Amino acid sequence: MSTAPQTIGGWRRILASLTLALLLEQLPWSGWALALRPDFVLVGVLFWVLHQPARIGFGVAFFVGLLADFQQGEVFGQHAIAYVIGVYLVLFLRLRLLQFDPLRQAAQLFPILFAVQLIVLLVGWLAVKPPTGLAVLLPALSNTLLWLVIAGWLRLWHGKGLQDRA
Amino acid sequence: MATPGQLMFARRLGPTARLLIWLAVGVSCVVVDVRYHALDGLRSGFSVLLLPVREMMRAPSDVAAELGGFFTRHRLLQNERDALLAERARLAIGANAAQELVRENTELRALLQMQTRPGQQVVHAALLYQGHDWFAQRITLDQGDQAGLHSGLPVVDASGLVGQVSRVYPGSSEVTLVSSPEQLTPVFVERTGQRGLAAGSGRGQMELRYMPTHADIRPGDRLLTSGIDRVYPAGVPVARVSGVSRPQSSPYLRVECVPLAGLDRSRAVLVLVAVPQLALPQAARPRATSP
Repeated sequence: MSTAPQTIGGWRRILASLTLALLLEQLPWSGWALALRPDFVLVGVLFWVLHQPARIGFGVAFFVGLLADFQQGEVFGQHAIAYVIGVYLVLFLRLRLLQFDPLRQAAQLFPILFAVQLIVLLVGWLAVKPPTGLAVLLPALSNTLLWLVIAGWLRLWHGKGLQDRA
Repeated sequence: MATPGQLMFARRLGPTARLLIWLAVGVSCVVVDVRYHALDGLRSGFSVLLLPVREMMRAPSDVAAELGGFFTRHRLLQNERDALLAERARLAIGANAAQELVRENTELRALLQMQTRPGQQVVHAALLYQGHDWFAQRITLDQGDQAGLHSGLPVVDASGLVGQVSRVYPGSSEVTLVSSPEQLTPVFVERTGQRGLAAGSGRGQMELRYMPTHADIRPGDRLLTSGIDRVYPAGVPVARVSGVSRPQSSPYLRVECVPLAGLDRSRAVLVLVAVPQLALPQAARPRATSP
């Protein structure tokens, strides 16, 4: 039985990681690095929703979604809607996701991250205009890789299995 | 069963209800923004919030560039200096001739009692941030409304037209690049003088629209702004034609162009701020580019 792992993620750690994600996105990326840049903030929020659903939820996701809309959206609400749906999917599959090792977890996260990018694409398309291409779906891959790295690192850091420590 | 972190009789809304509430908020955001453009204040707020962060995060790449420049070879710099000196001598001759022409032009215009071109004032700006270009290609500059910018101003770099200022915030501004889809630029072909409309086609490319199939246009032709829109000054290089083809399905030529400005390279650009002049009667103002 996997229970909520309350051992990781105090407020300080959550804030620090989300701030770091925000800072990474403000770096002057360009060219291919920009096209493949993972959405650090999205991965951060979904990670904490998975591990600390009582602290990080829909409200935070909506706010950072608005921030992403300011940075790279065509209209306010585009990323906010997508992030909120991402949070819902993670909450829906939460107990299942917590049972997997990093690789399988990342593989299960891929459809969710892909759906988020697809919703960004669709909302922008419906609300404003057709996109310039399907490059919007690329970050789903890099987001999955980033998730794999974070989950793997966490596994190394905390030893075997977070849920065993609860 | 109930785990320690979970209430047995939940009093909070379930995830589905919360999702629906936030979706409603999100959709209303989209509607308010698209229909009523009421969220510009929020945009300004975010820009003020993020400006110092972006200034700060620009530092690492600046340091890297500084270090890279420091280790440039001495010989390379000497060569560059010699080339620049030669270039300066050549340009000085041209500048003298241009001054003479300006003087002569002013006299002639005074004789004809015509309004001179609006004076240009430039604002130097540097690239501050670049977002994903999924729907439009935009860059953020580090100059805003304090520098006298307003939306609609043309932005150029050393080699050509970069784009047009589309949003202005306190301390920063957004530029829509010429290669952005649906961004139209009135141009003329330098070799033949034929006018046309250049539009961005995404992925850093441009196309020349609505060129009849008998038009004389070849790969290698340069496109300059025609100035008939009174937004861009005339004669700024925009793009070079890279390919011409005749599709069977369309009555027009398909002309592909490559922007001349370093849209993804330049880090320093100029914003052209037109200084409005005294309004003279505009009657009888023949322009070289009028139809």
